[in-house]
Amino acid sequence: MNEENQNLADGQNTGLKDAQSSALVAASAIIIFSAFYWFAQIQSVLELLELAYG
Amino acid sequence: MPTSILGPYFRTIVTVAVIAAALVFSFTYARDGVYVEIQPLFEWMETTWFGYVGKTWGAAFATIQAGHLIGLAVLGGCVLVSDGRLLGIVLTDVPHRIVVDRADAVFFWALATLLLTGVFMACGVAMKIYYLPVYWYKMLGLACGILFHYYVRRPLVAHELGSINPIVLKMTAIASILVWFLVAATGRWIGFSG
Repeated sequence: MNEENQNLADGQNTGLKDAQSSALVAASAIIIFSAFYWFAQIQSVLELLELAYG
Repeated sequence: MPTSILGPYFRTIVTVAVIAAALVFSFTYARDGVYVEIQPLFEWMETTWFGYVGKTWGAAFATIQAGHLIGLAVLGGCVLVSDGRLLGIVLTDVPHRIVVDRADAVFFWALATLLLTGVFMACGVAMKIYYLPVYWYKMLGLACGILFHYYVRRPLVAHELGSINPIVLKMTAIASILVWFLVAATGRWIGFSG
């Protein structure tokens, strides 16, 4: 019985670690992509404003 | 059980594989091949009943678009409330679990509304959006958002929130807000294009 409980706890712990690693990878990718994307968008707007108003 | 094939980090391996596949698809000629292949689908969409109604009856298109925007507003509200709670910014006097679970239930219906009304609207202007790069950015963002929400975020927050690393939890909340903000922004961008 104790062994079964231990196995269950180990399984849940592994599931949590897997979910956390997956979230870390996906969240990092999205945050890095967003940083580049919005930086490029802001740069583009600034260049257009510079062309329009000098 | 898939974990027996790829080990205990099955979800992480799949996540890395999906990100790698998305990058390869985006930065190679594979994208161009698919783009040409799906043109007949968009031509067909304009000939459907939805396409005819969307093109010829402005009031119907505007009404469905109103539903689409309300769906987007509700979805945005769910994301801000749920992720804002995870970040400790809003509803701090209500337990995490209640906010996250209830927002998730509403999120599903908001997403369903967005998808159904979105398909109708796409049929009405199929060839216009086919040639708009921003439409494809939106679809990429939407696919990314749905996968992120149901394959990454939801399984993570299904665990006891106190046992999750707070940095990972906050990064997940920020990424969720960013990806849905991108979907909303590109959606409005379509409205201002063409």
